[in-house]
Amino acid sequence: METEAIVEIVGLSKRFGDVAAIQDLSFTVRRGQVYGLLGPNGAGKTTALRVLTGLERPSAGEARLFGAPVTAGTDSLRRVGAMVEQAAFVPHLSGMRNLRLWWEAGGGHLRDADLDGALAVAGLGDAVDRKVRTYSQGMKQRLGFARALLARPELLILDEPTNGLDPGEIREIRELISRLSEHGSTVLLSSHHLSEVEQTCTHVVVMNHGTVVADGTVSQLVGASGAVFIEVDDRVRAEALLLEVPGVTRVTIQGDGLVVEQSDGSRADLAAALVGGGLRLETIMATQRLEEAFLELLDGAGAPPPPGAAPPPPPPPTAAPTAGEVTP
Amino acid sequence: MIALFRTEFVKAAVRVRTLVVVAVLIALPTLIVVAIKARGDRPGRGQNGEGLFRLAQQSGLLVPAAVLGVASGFLLVVIAGLLAGDSVASDSAWGNLRYVLMRPVSRTRLLLAKAAVAAALIWACVIVVALTALVAGLIAFGSHPVTVPLVSGGGVGSFTLSTTTILVRVAVGTAYVAFGFTALLAIGTFMSTLTDTPTGAIGATIGIYIVSEILDGIDQLGEVRYGFPTHYLSAWQPLLTENRWSGDIAAGIIVQLAYLVVFGAAAIIWFRRKDIRS
Repeated sequence: METEAIVEIVGLSKRFGDVAAIQDLSFTVRRGQVYGLLGPNGAGKTTALRVLTGLERPSAGEARLFGAPVTAGTDSLRRVGAMVEQAAFVPHLSGMRNLRLWWEAGGGHLRDADLDGALAVAGLGDAVDRKVRTYSQGMKQRLGFARALLARPELLILDEPTNGLDPGEIREIRELISRLSEHGSTVLLSSHHLSEVEQTCTHVVVMNHGTVVADGTVSQLVGASGAVFIEVDDRVRAEALLLEVPGVTRVTIQGDGLVVEQSDGSRADLAAALVGGGLRLETIMATQRLEEAFLELLDGAGAPPPPGAAPPPPPPPTAAPTAGEVTP
Repeated sequence: MIALFRTEFVKAAVRVRTLVVVAVLIALPTLIVVAIKARGDRPGRGQNGEGLFRLAQQSGLLVPAAVLGVASGFLLVVIAGLLAGDSVASDSAWGNLRYVLMRPVSRTRLLLAKAAVAAALIWACVIVVALTALVAGLIAFGSHPVTVPLVSGGGVGSFTLSTTTILVRVAVGTAYVAFGFTALLAIGTFMSTLTDTPTGAIGATIGIYIVSEILDGIDQLGEVRYGFPTHYLSAWQPLLTENRWSGDIAAGIIVQLAYLVVFGAAAIIWFRRKDIRS
């Protein structure tokens, strides 16, 4: 059963003069998912997040938060914590005063916010009382996280959240996102760090030239774009069983295991065939990582359309991809 | 709305720049009083500010009027342009505007709060000038009634203003000078919504005022000048120099309100539709 749709982007387009930043973009983020927005520079990721937070008006289509259309200052934003592009603050005020003023501008009292939790995440210590103009970019980014978490958001929107952070801080943020997800928060993040998305996200939208190139779970994206590596206790028997699975085009023995190439189907089909045949399955994994799948998808997406060109046909439905399906 | 006003006020008021402006506005009247005192009774040209400066030597109560007469021509214009032109653009330049707008906050209310803060600071600046000048004037010249020479219909007469009358009329003049920046406030706020560069908005706002003052000095432009935002800025001075309420005060108020409506509406419409890219 599908959970509630928290973010719905439906046929969204955004043009700046002759330049189409987003063309007919559609995807849905459901409660509890950690959704990664992947794409090269200029893919339209940040523009999509700006429309989603009411900062920009779509040229066509619609963005919805918690079922309500997004407009500037929409009340749904009360349930959202966001950091779009770099964290920015009033430089001549302290970190704490920035948090206080930002919160109170929305009409609330700071005592109603999760200040302690947010400050714990920021980990700025006494520096929170220093003027922001004295902060490093990493400190600003962490204060930005604190601001995004003040409202105990049901949806966290993060644009390149680990920019400017050191490896230790990146790991902290990754763990934070996992914790938030475990507690029922939904996360939509854009990132250039593919390994970060691979480790953090449950689902991925790959964008290029403002359109969706692929949409699915991380394992679908990785698995469907390449072969599967399997380790079993009887490789010869496994080869015979696997060749009978619909969609399997080739099985080769490689090292201690087998490499299976599929035209369609999923890793679950392969596992079921092997276990059903009485074999002991020790390993089943994609032979490539997200980075390879990502680059493959972008290669397949072709060159950018010229300015002012008619938008390409919409991508196939992406709301409920079948197992192993990637929508190129 | 009150919460928005308060948060925007803190952002604007606690800047070092604002404190420097206040320091300058306190120093200016003090320097002027010292200069008047040093100048003594030498006759001046007897026009506008010069006339008020001469009268101010009779009573410190008139010093605020004399100082406002000169400060409202340029210094206060620059400061008001700074406050109005910076209102939205500074938040844009810091990259903070997008975060304010990611709260469930109406853009119209945010803009009104920013404009109200700019207006409050402009009024505060004018009042600081007037009060400092009053204190400095009382110290230097004391508090006395003033006899003002009046040339009318070929004859020479005079009238006397009591201390109470002077105080009331100086207060009215101060309020009129402050209100006289309403058009500049509206123009500056509109400019501030157009750009993410505060210096651009401030420069454009002050530039419009300077052009208005230059064109207003060209008599050949005739009645067109009556629509300039600077045309009636000195309409309050006859209260003290000629002992009369000028009809130009009402005209000045109407002109200021017209600019407020036109540029205020333009600012709101533009800001509501604007894509926040900074």
